[in-house]
Amino acid sequence: MIKEDVIICRCEDITLKDITDLLDEGYQTFEEIKRILRIGMGACQGSTCISLLQREISNYHNIPIEKVETPKVRPLMTGVKLKSISEAYKNES
Amino acid sequence: MLNKTGVPSLSLIKTKFPEQNKLFKAKAITECYEEIPCNPCSTSCPFEAITIGEDINKLPVVDFDKCTGCGICVYSCPGLAIFTVALKKEKAIFKIPYELLPYPKVDETWKAVNRDGLVIGEAIIKKVILKPKQDRTLLVEVEVDKNLLYDFITIKE
Amino acid sequence: MIFKDLVIIGGGPAGLSAAKIAAEAGVSCLIIERDPFLGGQLIKQTHMFFGSEKQYAKTRGLDIAKILIDDCLKHQDLIEIMTSTTVVGLYKDKVITTLHDDTYNKIKAKSIIVSTGASERFFAFENNDLPGVYGAGAVQTLMNVYGVKPADKVIMVGSGNIGLIVSYQLHQAGVKVLKVIEAASNIGGYKVHASKIRRIGIPIETRKTIKRAIGKDKVEQVEIVSLDDDWNIVDNSSEIIDVDAVCISVGLIPQRNLLSMIDIKTKFIKELGGIVPIINEDHQTSDKDVYVCGDVSGVEEASSAIVEGYYTGLIAARNLGKEHQDFKTLNIDYKNQLLNLRSGPFGKKTLKGLEIMKEDANVK
Repeated sequence: MIKEDVIICRCEDITLKDITDLLDEGYQTFEEIKRILRIGMGACQGSTCISLLQREISNYHNIPIEKVETPKVRPLMTGVKLKSISEAYKNES
Repeated sequence: MLNKTGVPSLSLIKTKFPEQNKLFKAKAITECYEEIPCNPCSTSCPFEAITIGEDINKLPVVDFDKCTGCGICVYSCPGLAIFTVALKKEKAIFKIPYELLPYPKVDETWKAVNRDGLVIGEAIIKKVILKPKQDRTLLVEVEVDKNLLYDFITIKE
Repeated sequence: MIFKDLVIIGGGPAGLSAAKIAAEAGVSCLIIERDPFLGGQLIKQTHMFFGSEKQYAKTRGLDIAKILIDDCLKHQDLIEIMTSTTVVGLYKDKVITTLHDDTYNKIKAKSIIVSTGASERFFAFENNDLPGVYGAGAVQTLMNVYGVKPADKVIMVGSGNIGLIVSYQLHQAGVKVLKVIEAASNIGGYKVHASKIRRIGIPIETRKTIKRAIGKDKVEQVEIVSLDDDWNIVDNSSEIIDVDAVCISVGLIPQRNLLSMIDIKTKFIKELGGIVPIINEDHQTSDKDVYVCGDVSGVEEASSAIVEGYYTGLIAARNLGKEHQDFKTLNIDYKNQLLNLRSGPFGKKTLKGLEIMKEDANVK
């Protein structure tokens, strides 16, 4: 398999090679990999890649998939213009 | 076979047919081999000829003495898994559900197709019925050779 | 800030059903839907549904959507609907922030029902980002919602109900489906669907998977390989096929992003499709004012989502002090319907998943 050609996170354009390189370096958790690669932090907020990365970590470190912690999702779900937020604030006050 | 290809074996198919001597009138053949939660065949039958019971996962059982071959269950089955068949001399008359374009027209000769999707003979279109209550599923009556009784399943232009 | 007794996030089969019953009980609710239309995935289901009359069996999915929407429109005094509105944030004090066009809004709810459904599972293979690699659901949206023919010659990866149904609908739309491949040893979906596509000339081949998509700017070919019983690729089994699209239909993942924002307790339960909120019998999450129903709490058929919706609406209304006049009858009826829908071989997985969840719910 040509790992550079396998996309794991479409939003942030992360390939399987990007992932396995980090796993080879010794990284073990989703949270660490997310912080380095921004995987799961794009437009779909991990809807696509979380289960794929979970599986890669599970296979690599030979831990059951249900034990692979996934990152917390935080607001906002999509991009929101600062102007929109400030206008909502103005209307309220 | 069914689990791997979607094609039931001949012996499985035959379990759904009555004795051939009952087929002088049209009877419903329910090609439902797997327990799934579904019962419209039973609830749509005006003659209470198809029984599923309280547990809607059970397979339908047809009482061929009650079945009149009306064809209501044919277009009521969400799985398009029911047809009716009657034997008339050397011919078998099927009523099948059909949901593809173009629609067949009466007196046209189409290809008779088996469960593998292969052409096995000719099918003469006898009736094409589409009433509002059929909800866009055509009921097509076709005539094929009697020896295709256990093989014929649909038509192709 | 808008104040609401009950906010329902997601206007699909589960959300609409929940709104109907809650409104019948007298609760004023708000449905927030991201898409321009209500109905969720039902609006693109052109096939007749299974189940019994109570779940609108033998009605086509798109018509079930109409029934559920009409039921809500009958309660216009109590049900407010926001479409094209995305929930962008959920907070522990039950504040929901939304975005509609560029307007940002805050809504404060007493109770929340999260019915966000599921999203399509993606699949790792070479060139899986080439244009022409579609989710089966995306293909269905293009065809059945927007009337766009997605391709001319496709291969379907996955033989669950969605893969089988979308193959049939592609054929109806005049698209050539060359074959359906399935990595497992048996077909995943209902055999009646499998038989239906087999007879119209679409072969289903088990123990096969896609190795790579091939093409310069878009999918032109795919490489298919056979798998042995240990899921290893069989030597010399490669087959290159000319196609202009690949449809991926390898399952659904519960869409639990909003629940994660407020630290709802979840668990990975593979029988339910992945990470799901831990719920009690009343469909309450670890925050008792936050309920879930439909695929977000475990991937199943739409018929189950509808009944779960009714049930959750009934319970949420009672807990808000508005007990439905037929509470007792409906409560038993919905439970029995769910049990009935799940009591066959296909329901075993869900029941097992719910058992695993129960063990967890009891510990806490």
